[in-house]
Amino acid sequence: MSDAAVPKQKDMSEPMLGALLLLPAVLLLLLVVVYPIGTLFWTSLHSVDNANPQAGEQWVGIANYLRAFDDDRFWHATLQTVIYIVVTVPGALVVGLGLALLANQPFRIQWPVRLSLLLPWALPLVFAGLIFRWFFEYQTGIVNDLLARIGVEPLGWLSDPTLATIAICIAIIWKASSFMALMLLAGLQTIPKSLYEAAEVDGASKWQQFVEITLPMLRPSIFVALIFRTITAIQTFDIPYAMTGGGPGDATETLAMYIHKSTLDFLDFGYGSALAALMFLFSMVATSGYLRYTRRSSGRGAEE
Amino acid sequence: MSEVTLNHVAKSFGPVNVIKGIDLQIKSGEFVVFVGPSGCGKSTLLRMIAGLESITSGKISIGGTIVNDLPPRLRDIAMVFQDYALYPHKSVFENMAFGLRLRKLPEHEIQTRVNNAAGILQINHLFERKPRELSGGQRQRVAMGRAIVRQPKAFLFDEPLSNLDALLRSEMRVEIKKLHHRLGNTIIYVTHDQVEAMTLADRIVVLQEGNLVQYDTPDGIYNRPAAKFVAGFTGSPPMNFAPCRIGEGGRVLHVAGGVDLPVPARCVDECARHIGREVIFGLRPEHIGVPTVDAPGIERIDGSVLLVEPLGAETLGLIKLGKHDKAAEVTGRFEPDARLQVGQNLPIALDLNHFHLFDCKTGLAIRGNGW
Ligand SMILES: Nc1ncnc2c1ncn2[C@@H]1O[C@H](COP(=O)(O)OP(=O)(O)O)[C@@H](O)[C@H]1O
Ligand SMILES: [Mg+2]
Repeated sequence: MSDAAVPKQKDMSEPMLGALLLLPAVLLLLLVVVYPIGTLFWTSLHSVDNANPQAGEQWVGIANYLRAFDDDRFWHATLQTVIYIVVTVPGALVVGLGLALLANQPFRIQWPVRLSLLLPWALPLVFAGLIFRWFFEYQTGIVNDLLARIGVEPLGWLSDPTLATIAICIAIIWKASSFMALMLLAGLQTIPKSLYEAAEVDGASKWQQFVEITLPMLRPSIFVALIFRTITAIQTFDIPYAMTGGGPGDATETLAMYIHKSTLDFLDFGYGSALAALMFLFSMVATSGYLRYTRRSSGRGAEE
Repeated sequence: MSEVTLNHVAKSFGPVNVIKGIDLQIKSGEFVVFVGPSGCGKSTLLRMIAGLESITSGKISIGGTIVNDLPPRLRDIAMVFQDYALYPHKSVFENMAFGLRLRKLPEHEIQTRVNNAAGILQINHLFERKPRELSGGQRQRVAMGRAIVRQPKAFLFDEPLSNLDALLRSEMRVEIKKLHHRLGNTIIYVTHDQVEAMTLADRIVVLQEGNLVQYDTPDGIYNRPAAKFVAGFTGSPPMNFAPCRIGEGGRVLHVAGGVDLPVPARCVDECARHIGREVIFGLRPEHIGVPTVDAPGIERIDGSVLLVEPLGAETLGLIKLGKHDKAAEVTGRFEPDARLQVGQNLPIALDLNHFHLFDCKTGLAIRGNGW
């Protein structure tokens, strides 16, 4: 009888077995990703009248979306988010690359370098925001103190819309470049030393080695780092929240902050969900843009 | 001119002395091979010549210029690395052209040089490919091409064939030798493979733990090894060794295991100066075989066969010399026709005209004039 059992096991075809093995992961994804997103879209098509909550959710179609297009505060928050993306993605890349190159040098003792790279990354975002808020305080902040030493009048860093945006960008770059640097450092360490030696014998200066070897070899790592950074930048919340709370006025408010406010402060779940759905859309567009670019260039990739 | 001269060159990594004072003169156009076991400092020495390692003390000059403080790109050398170190993101053509572009050569000159080198190496059809699309042998050729186009004073090779399979390795060995005949540049070539060293080199540098043990032609290295280390490193199978004592006024060698061998007349005077000393007797496998003709210096001994290794063209036999329990065991080369059988007793001829003696302690060869 045990003989018969063996061919029976073989009966399950490979695709069947594959599907079976995939099932748990698919179910989990459905539960924690697809279901919430579905609910979000569903909610965004409804509205609750806060004066008469007993009536429950009313179907309003795309009214919430139309409202967003006429909402100046939404457009301002979107613009502000775009500014954070455009400034902090390249900013964190440049600073992170610099840190990674520094950490990749043959230091006698490696761990202090690695630790100082890791620390900003390990720090919760809100802490980073609070720390920079103290730095930029008008009266007691270290930034105005330093400016005073070189004879510059104290600046209202957190009360002027432009200055507050700059201060927030600095804080985000500081926080984000740490993770950038870690990813790029991992990429740097996969570049064989002999490539640099070959280039050196071929006659390349240090700068030419950086341009001709390091950058092209690092491209895949840079792409992954950029995707991560862009997605996180779209969702920027904690640091401006802790530094300015979106102020002065709504000047530094991001899309994520406005969504948070709409749902949790104004209890306007339908509108908040519509805004969240729009943000989700932006993320998808940005990511698929990157992915299309990487796929197109993967033929020229630096991978062995 | 592109001679390379090393003067008391030494290197230490921290407290560890890796190269211990080497003097070396490589003539312009000469093919010199650094050989030695793994870790003896071959790569380090080559990389010091290339400028990839600093020089702790001593002087290195290339083409008459002291290069100690020159970076690699100003030394006018080209190097082929063990892992080829091709630029993965550049095409074959651009890999070869890179050094020329950095030197701002005119485009037509770059085209000509790369095309010529590719013609010699037969890799023209690979120009558009990326290194990852090449086989090991093709990568090897591209790496050599990248060196050739530079037309440097000297080529430096660091174990360029060790990542290839045996067949390809012997093929490329021939190509490299042809290349040297054709280009005539000075070549310094590092390998741990004595066959590569013997077949390629005009002169061989044998290194042992950072010391230069012998610098000689392949013939000198093989037939007049300066030390037991050199003798045991060359030839396959390598030289046979047995402890022995010199007696009877330098006329007899008492080899361990109760075998007495007469010293050829021309060597007696030198041996007489070492009477009573413990030395090591050495004889290469090709000087151990079946007796054919009687000639001076050829000694017949009763032996027995312990092991037979047929190689096709010849057969290696592990032979016990004499009947004694602790008799010396030596490997000899035999014609396949000899039909050796394990356990067989047979007379063995030792050609003592080619014997070697080495000092027990220093390992240095004991050799008089003319042998
Ligand atoms: N960068 C280094 N730091 C410390 N020791 C080294 C370094 N490079 C080589 N060595 C040591 O120097 C010795 C010689 O190395 P190497 O020249 O690579 O040997 P080979 O090429 O003959 O195998 C080895 O013992 C090796 O461990
Ligand atoms: Mg080596």
